[in-house]
Amino acid sequence: MKIILIALTMLSLTACYEDTDVTIHEAGVYKGKVDKHNQTSEEREAILAKRFKQVQTDR
Amino acid sequence: MARMKFLCDEERCIECNACVTACKNEHEVPWGVNRRRVVTMDDGLPGEKSISVACMHCTDAPCQAVCPVDCFYTTDDGVVLHDKDMCIGCGYCLYACPFGAPQYPQEGAFGARGKMDKCTFCGGGPEEDHSHEELEKYGRNRLAEGKLPLCAEMCSTKALIAGDGDIVSDLFRNRVIRRQGRQETWGWDTAYQD
Amino acid sequence: MKLTKRNANSSANQQGVDRRAFLKGSGIAAGGAAFLSLLPPAMIQKVEAAEGHRHAYDEGEITKVRSVCSHCSVGCGVVAEVQNGVWIGQEPSFEHPFNLGSHCAKGASLREHGHGEKRLKYPMKKVAGKWQRVSWEQAIDEIGDKMLSIREQSGPDSVYWLGSAKHNNEQAYLFRKFAALWGTNNVDHQARICHSTTVAGVANTWGYGAMTNSYNDIHNAKAIFIIGANPAEAHPVSLQHIFRAKEKGAPVIVVDPRFTRTAAHADHYMAIRPGTDVAFVWGMLWHIFKNGWEDKEFINQRVYGIDDIRTEVAKWTPDEVERVTGTKEADVLKAAQTMAEHRPGTFIWCMGGTQHTTGNNNTRAYCIFQLVLGNMGVSGGGTNIFRGHDNVQGATDLGVLSHTLPGYYGLSEGAWKHWAKVWDLDYEWMKNRFDQGSYEESGGKPANPMNTKGIPVSRWIDGVLEDKDNIAQNDNVRAMVLWGHAPNSQTRGPEMKTAMEKLDLMVVVDPYPSISAVLSDRQDGLYLLPAATQFETYGSLSSSNRSMQWRHKVIEPLFESKPDHVIMHKFATKLGFADQLFKHITINGEEPLIEDVTREFNKGMWTIGYTGQTPERMKLQSDNLHTFNKTTLKAEGGPCDGEYYGLPWPCWGTADMKHPGTPLLYDTSKSVAEGGLTFRARFGVEHDGDNLLAEGSFSAGSQITDGYPEFTADMLKKLGWWDDLTPTEKVAAEGKNWKTDLSGGIQRVAIKHGCAPFGNAKARAVVWEFPDPVPIHREALYTNRRDLIEKYPTYDDRRSFYRLPTRYGSIQKQDFSKDYPLIMTSGRLVEYEGGGEETRSNPWLAELQQEMFVEINPADANDAGVKHGEQVWVDGPEGGQIKVMAFVTPRVGRGVVFMPFHFGGHYQGKDLTDKYPAGTVPYALGESCNTVFTYGYDSVTQMQETKVSLCRIRAA
Repeated sequence: MKIILIALTMLSLTACYEDTDVTIHEAGVYKGKVDKHNQTSEEREAILAKRFKQVQTDR
Repeated sequence: MARMKFLCDEERCIECNACVTACKNEHEVPWGVNRRRVVTMDDGLPGEKSISVACMHCTDAPCQAVCPVDCFYTTDDGVVLHDKDMCIGCGYCLYACPFGAPQYPQEGAFGARGKMDKCTFCGGGPEEDHSHEELEKYGRNRLAEGKLPLCAEMCSTKALIAGDGDIVSDLFRNRVIRRQGRQETWGWDTAYQD
Repeated sequence: MKLTKRNANSSANQQGVDRRAFLKGSGIAAGGAAFLSLLPPAMIQKVEAAEGHRHAYDEGEITKVRSVCSHCSVGCGVVAEVQNGVWIGQEPSFEHPFNLGSHCAKGASLREHGHGEKRLKYPMKKVAGKWQRVSWEQAIDEIGDKMLSIREQSGPDSVYWLGSAKHNNEQAYLFRKFAALWGTNNVDHQARICHSTTVAGVANTWGYGAMTNSYNDIHNAKAIFIIGANPAEAHPVSLQHIFRAKEKGAPVIVVDPRFTRTAAHADHYMAIRPGTDVAFVWGMLWHIFKNGWEDKEFINQRVYGIDDIRTEVAKWTPDEVERVTGTKEADVLKAAQTMAEHRPGTFIWCMGGTQHTTGNNNTRAYCIFQLVLGNMGVSGGGTNIFRGHDNVQGATDLGVLSHTLPGYYGLSEGAWKHWAKVWDLDYEWMKNRFDQGSYEESGGKPANPMNTKGIPVSRWIDGVLEDKDNIAQNDNVRAMVLWGHAPNSQTRGPEMKTAMEKLDLMVVVDPYPSISAVLSDRQDGLYLLPAATQFETYGSLSSSNRSMQWRHKVIEPLFESKPDHVIMHKFATKLGFADQLFKHITINGEEPLIEDVTREFNKGMWTIGYTGQTPERMKLQSDNLHTFNKTTLKAEGGPCDGEYYGLPWPCWGTADMKHPGTPLLYDTSKSVAEGGLTFRARFGVEHDGDNLLAEGSFSAGSQITDGYPEFTADMLKKLGWWDDLTPTEKVAAEGKNWKTDLSGGIQRVAIKHGCAPFGNAKARAVVWEFPDPVPIHREALYTNRRDLIEKYPTYDDRRSFYRLPTRYGSIQKQDFSKDYPLIMTSGRLVEYEGGGEETRSNPWLAELQQEMFVEINPADANDAGVKHGEQVWVDGPEGGQIKVMAFVTPRVGRGVVFMPFHFGGHYQGKDLTDKYPAGTVPYALGESCNTVFTYGYDSVTQMQETKVSLCRIRAA
């Protein structure tokens, strides 16, 4: 009986093992696909600044 | 480097919802998903004010900080976007967002929560610009077309302003100077007298 | 895979874009996109609406097409992107002078018109209570046979042709001509129930019944007065113009029973009791006269009858104003003083002023207010009357009305002969198309139905239900054609249902089934014909500021729908007068050529100057939007140099005269040739011995430096200007006047000498032909202020008014206020338009406003024991009842409830979903507030009363 209890205790305790090798969350580091554009960010900025003037005319 | 910002001029917003339908129109956002909405405070009372709200594309975005799969990134233009292929639809970003921007379309027969959807500043997503994949997952990419978000471009009173934060604030400053500090809303001048 | 054809520049000439930026912006857009007007029409292919399919950039060339929004009278420019015939994108039209790219919720969702999944897809008829698909041929054949047999039995007046403000100008004109050739004046449209009292009141004050200035001109206003209007919801883009003035310092005053979204942006808001506009305006004038703030010189030179107004205004002491309107003296004084101290100020009104039994009194009181302050005929001033539908101004001008032919010529023999000449038809033949009997007298003599006003749309149900002995025509209305009309925008819902069931034949022509398809329990004799939207055809429209714009066709008609003018051609062919209707109009296949129709009305519309706007001139402007100044609307350089945008009418003379249009009516600071004008000499030269002509006031450059009557051939001879006419003009002008000379010579010569063809007179504050020559306050028929009835009673009942008995006093004398204690009023929501069938079928809009509601003040809600968000019954005094959601809000004052009128599809608690043809049920359904709205019609125009009635609220 004791042996069975010990065996059961051992079995149940095996579930309490913690593996420290799982993927660790590093907040803020993007892991997805890279978003590429044809223009440089400076070019885009200039284009969008022009567009802004068109949208927000004299009103 | 540009940092794209929205600003809603609450003196001008008339709650006409053009920004909301313009967004639906441009990206064919399904029923129930609202990338943008208009919020009214003190509805029907003196001092009633409305503002149009969407993702604010935060500089230090809380959604980005909490995302368990790290699907968020900030573009060179300062727009916060995410990779829907990675998103697990957990809703943690909604927890973190101060504006309630993240939306979750219902998917499948049991109404399961789908991948998060939100305002992209009309900047598409991490697929090739103007590709079918980008269109299907994120909607149109107006920034890559040299255009600004349609909500702001179509705003009925030019209340909603979108663009590089510096230019936006220049424009808004001029407006405020022109108004000479006069409150534009009925009842506001008496609202805090006591 | 990456191809884009969408470029950032919606016009070849953009301000603020340098060449390098342009290249960068469009480097991704190889070739760019051309506007449709530069491309052959074959570029646009017919397609099926591809539901659920998203169109990417690389599926074909993208064409940009310029159109104009069809949701309100502002006339916002639209840029549609079309690929393989599918409307795939909508871009802002930044260079458009009216909206600079802006839209409201409706305008920003226009592209949904290209999906149209809830549209009526093919002709249908009801057979034994079931919808059955039929072919166009079968439908036209069966309807036509039935109409001809009704005509045989009961005469032409038993078929009612109800047209629409959704027609473009060409279709509206054809529709009126169509009814004329069928032989009836039973033709009308929504203007009757939107601004008919404005048109009558304003035209009888100074000549023309339209917005005098423009949305853009509000930039120059020093003060803005808004009464009975909620432009923040009904005309949102107009707020862009209003804010521009406001941010330069102009105070905004809003007067409304409800704290509207417009009121939220006012400097000064005042609530008045619904239906007390005249009392309020006289209350302001009381202060103005008392303080001597009136513009005495302006009044002396240009206004007749102001002494009679003074007498009436003197009765409106601050105490009496407060007793009647509920507004305190300090508020009224502040409004009056603000307007007096900030001149010129503009005066804006809409349905809150017009839809009353005393609507014509209200509109005239508004005009008189502006005359007293000298705010007329100046930039920044004027009466800026915001019209409703996109082309309600055009449809009114082109006479889709039961009391006039196109151009406000009226129904006299002279008017018919004028149009017979334009149409090149035999007058006697036309006369014989009408019922030859006589059912009422005009000027003591029996009058033929050809010359008597037809039944107005507001009363068509009485044309069906009234005992035929009481109607001034041969028989009841037996067939009803509802062509682009939402019946739920009309009052007395339960009676309308009965009328629909009593008809022999009911025909609905509409892009959507509309409430007409589902309200009645008809089992047979109900046809639905699918009409195309204005994005599926092309032509001109007239926006509120009288500007005419050209719409290009965006897509081919969806499904089996057809444009209105094609359907008219089908009917005219079946009914046997197509040859006469289209005598000088080219027919391509079965489509009448729109440009020929424009040219035809150009030949006859001399009264209001619809003569100079040829298709070519309008199209040229559409291609050069960017050249127009965004405030003055004047083109600065470019091919349209000097013209005003849309050639706002009057655009005098023939197109050869190159008149630039008239941006501001009655503005004497400019010469007539440059768009200046005087008040029209419409009412004779004297009245009771007083001179009606202007005194010492005239338009710039006028060779007559005083008032003068309207121009005739004889007058030209007396002035010695006859020989300025060419020999051909002389032949045409002999014996004619400025309205009937088809050569335009009289107009040309008058303008050459700096004169206005229609004369130079005073505006009149007293309209002696009207029931109330001086506008006075009268209590509404359903009023709960029983204490005021004795002093301010309504009119006496009338025996025959627009062919029908019309009740006033007999209703008012009954006291409903005990059982129905709350004042009921109605209005608009930004998401929807009119009866709402189209907009409630647009998912992008319907999602935003899914439920019909009634706004109740918290106090009234507590009294009735109802809570916010709960269902309640609203009971009307004529027996209608509706079940809606309670929206408890202080937005409405205590004792007043408000409901929007856009909903339909529920009837007295019952959901009518099952009655729609399959696949056409709108996304949002709800009770129509007009099911509980009641009787009441304006004393001049038969406008319906929708702003004051009574009701009771109880928990459901």
